[in-house]
Amino acid sequence: MKKLLLAAAISALCATAFAQGKDLKVAIDPTYEPFTFKTADGKPTGFDVDIATALCEQIKRKCVFVEQAWDGMIPGLLARKYDVIISSMSITQERLKQVDFTDKYYNTPSKIVLKKDIKFDGPASIKGKKLGVLKASTQEKYALGELKTKGVEIVSYDAQDQVYLDIKAGRLDGTVADILEVGGGFLSKPGGENYQFVGPELYIPKYFGTGAGIALRKGQAELKKELSAGIQAIRGNGKYKAINDKYFKFDVFGK
Amino acid sequence: MTSTTQSYLWVILQGSLLTVGVSLGALLVSILLGLLGAAAKLSGRPILVGLGTFYTTIIRGIPDLVLMLLVFYGGTIGINTLLEKMGSEATIDIEPFAAGVITIGFIYGAYMTETFRGAILSIPKGQMEAAWAFGMSRPQTFIRITLPQMVRYALPGFTNNWLVLIKATALVSLIGLQEMTYLAKQASSATRSPFMFFLFTGALFLVYTSISLIALKKVNARYSLGTKRVSL
Repeated sequence: MKKLLLAAAISALCATAFAQGKDLKVAIDPTYEPFTFKTADGKPTGFDVDIATALCEQIKRKCVFVEQAWDGMIPGLLARKYDVIISSMSITQERLKQVDFTDKYYNTPSKIVLKKDIKFDGPASIKGKKLGVLKASTQEKYALGELKTKGVEIVSYDAQDQVYLDIKAGRLDGTVADILEVGGGFLSKPGGENYQFVGPELYIPKYFGTGAGIALRKGQAELKKELSAGIQAIRGNGKYKAINDKYFKFDVFGK
Repeated sequence: MTSTTQSYLWVILQGSLLTVGVSLGALLVSILLGLLGAAAKLSGRPILVGLGTFYTTIIRGIPDLVLMLLVFYGGTIGINTLLEKMGSEATIDIEPFAAGVITIGFIYGAYMTETFRGAILSIPKGQMEAAWAFGMSRPQTFIRITLPQMVRYALPGFTNNWLVLIKATALVSLIGLQEMTYLAKQASSATRSPFMFFLFTGALFLVYTSISLIALKKVNARYSLGTKRVSL
């Protein structure tokens, strides 16, 4: 009787879903404009979302978007709340230990951004300056590995927006961020006019990985193959270009 | 204010209903667990006392965020791995609203346990003994004698727990619920004007907590009938 009650309670709480269903559950964290964000009427949109939709069409499954805060992204995938993550997640060695990735679907470089009156001539020249980075991001890893070792002060934040807020508040001298993110979110906005990109485009795979891919649980070789082939297919048939040109002025597929 | 901003504010306002829903649901769960916990800790039976102490010590000692990750993701991953081992193709997807209510309720139940335990201890034991002497059963004694009096003692601590609980709902976005703080984050990311949306969310929280305070004051007045307020 007790077991029966327990079973009833569990089935009341849980919806049982079969892994091989038609819908592809895609996790996004819509707080990363222009890649994933929500329009005012609450619809998910952006480059990632459009690419996901195009890929679903390609593999003949229906995309169902699941919103998930970034901190719970990989745990949620492992807990099978969704099948894949298509949310600008960079392919890195650490993440590969826990999840699998398809081939990249875009790869934009990061750059250092500094106040215009600071002279930059390699990391050592900005010793003692304070840069903000996004916590647990590839940029943070680069900053800790290449800049902090040269005496640059690195402060980590929960969201890239908070970095911008603190730059505006005068607590930071700059940031390291994806060129698109910082270009659209900061440099082109009021308050960003006194800042500029310095140094080379940063592609170093050790820190930045090899671009953003679609994350999936390990042991899903078939889905992985299907999605990677899908990326190739939309690159070939012009769909990728159409989506790319809707959001960006250059090809974000990258090197 | 642009119409886009207004639409985002409207979305956040709708999301705040979810915040209220999760809060109230979690409150019910926490009251239930609090009463059970307090009963266990006061029962004098070593096993029950031990269980109650274990519950309150563990839960109150670990940050909410960590617990939420452990309880929700740890639980789901565990169940699904088990199902897979047993050869089942089905996966369990815990409904996020229920998960949020249960997780937060479970956490705040520990705080309620201590609040209720303190309140029950404030009632002179002679009153319960008198009730038993009159032949009332234990549940009758609890409902007729203990409960009406403990409400007054429990209310200050209860109010505190409730206010903290409402704000703790901001954590449920972690398990996939679109509550208002997460919606504010989305809106501020899309429009790049964070202050507008976070101020609005802060104001909404303040509205809900203020309403609670007024309601709880009424409850307090009701249960303090027959007692005299002393001013020194």
